[in-house]
Amino acid sequence: MRIYPDLCIACGQCVPYCPVKAIRLEAGADFAEIDFDECAECSNCLRMAECPTDAICQQELVWPRTVRSLLSDPLTVAKESGITGRGTEEMKTNDVTGRFKRGFAGIAIELGRPVVGARFYDVEKVAQAVASLGVEFEPRNPTTSLMEDPSIGKFKEGILNEKVVSAILEFAVKLEQLPQLFEIIKRVAAEIDTVFSLDIATRANPDGSVPIEPVVKAAGLWISPNGKTNIGLGRPLVKEH
Amino acid sequence: MTHTLHRMGSVENLSEDYVVLMMPSKDINHVGSGPKLRRFLQMALDNGAIKIGDGRLGNQYHQGGVSKVLENVEDRAVVHAVFRDTESLARTLLAIKEADFGLSVVVSGLFGEVEKCCKRLGLEKHTVNISMGRWGRTENLPPQEILEINTMCGHGMVTVGLIEEVIADVRNKRCTLEEGAERLFRPCLCGIFNPHRAAQLLEEMTAKEK
Repeated sequence: MRIYPDLCIACGQCVPYCPVKAIRLEAGADFAEIDFDECAECSNCLRMAECPTDAICQQELVWPRTVRSLLSDPLTVAKESGITGRGTEEMKTNDVTGRFKRGFAGIAIELGRPVVGARFYDVEKVAQAVASLGVEFEPRNPTTSLMEDPSIGKFKEGILNEKVVSAILEFAVKLEQLPQLFEIIKRVAAEIDTVFSLDIATRANPDGSVPIEPVVKAAGLWISPNGKTNIGLGRPLVKEH
Repeated sequence: MTHTLHRMGSVENLSEDYVVLMMPSKDINHVGSGPKLRRFLQMALDNGAIKIGDGRLGNQYHQGGVSKVLENVEDRAVVHAVFRDTESLARTLLAIKEADFGLSVVVSGLFGEVEKCCKRLGLEKHTVNISMGRWGRTENLPPQEILEINTMCGHGMVTVGLIEEVIADVRNKRCTLEEGAERLFRPCLCGIFNPHRAAQLLEEMTAKEK
């Protein structure tokens, strides 16, 4: 995103709308400026600030900067998933897709969330760490589509410095792999320069209990009291063998 | 696995915050899903939803009104309704169950409350998604009370800067709590932000500052 200095009247209306604080308006300045390297191309300023002089403009996005819009602008539709946003249908349609079967856990590591944003060199660091478990990254996830070699979590040349509001690493593991995965995640969390939000999806047991809860608690990790529950109303309901 | 997940807060302040999502699955049941999704949104409004939204096309402000959100729903939409109490939530879930749309439904909120609601209605948990919080350089995050508002938009569009501006406006009586909360809702394009809870959180924050 750019701001035309000759049109900007330094009203500052756009400044609070940037999720990564890339818009600057110095005291006494005649115009606001976007730090082009920090801008994640989410379009929030363009959509929401109601710039009185139309000074905010979307420049043409070319590779690898297109990555920023793909993962940061909530209205960009990813061709891999066919839906908006950074993720996939994941557990939301698990009742009809059977993507996460009994005995498995779907993992999502969302780098950059909340607030901080992420560069792909950190996304790659985490991807390579979990790839050591032999995981298969979800092929329909747009972040996976940016990998050169998903088997080792290596991303395409030229995108490592691209900044996004967030990027999701999505994969499944067997339940018995969870303790090892948690150790890897603890280690790599100390090696990155951003934050991530971590979540796990799993089939509920027939009695309604959640099989990952004891595993997470045994590892001494925290579970939020709120989360998501798919209530199995999709049809045709997937049959598990 | 995320956009309504990872909402931060206490059990107390999360107790008036529920989101119901309905979506078809590509190539399984998406054909002809648009009218069903539209009926669900109307049902949610009739039963007490405080906001509705469409993840593909945007919220009521982005589309030009609640009627436009309903009118524009397409076959592959991902739609949501936000609730401030479990009674409205339960009424809506019952209506969805009886309508038998055949589309996937996900309820976000306190697990204990959602489970009670489902049991009452004879609904079973199929798949559960838990949040394990924030990792890495968490020292770079803003204070908890700011995050409690920010994380109600999973795409991060309700920014820290906007939240701080609204807090200042409420404190200086340039807007009411409700006006401030509604202003915070606008950038949340999916329409999943809960302005009722935001107004409560703003009230707590501004009262504390006094």
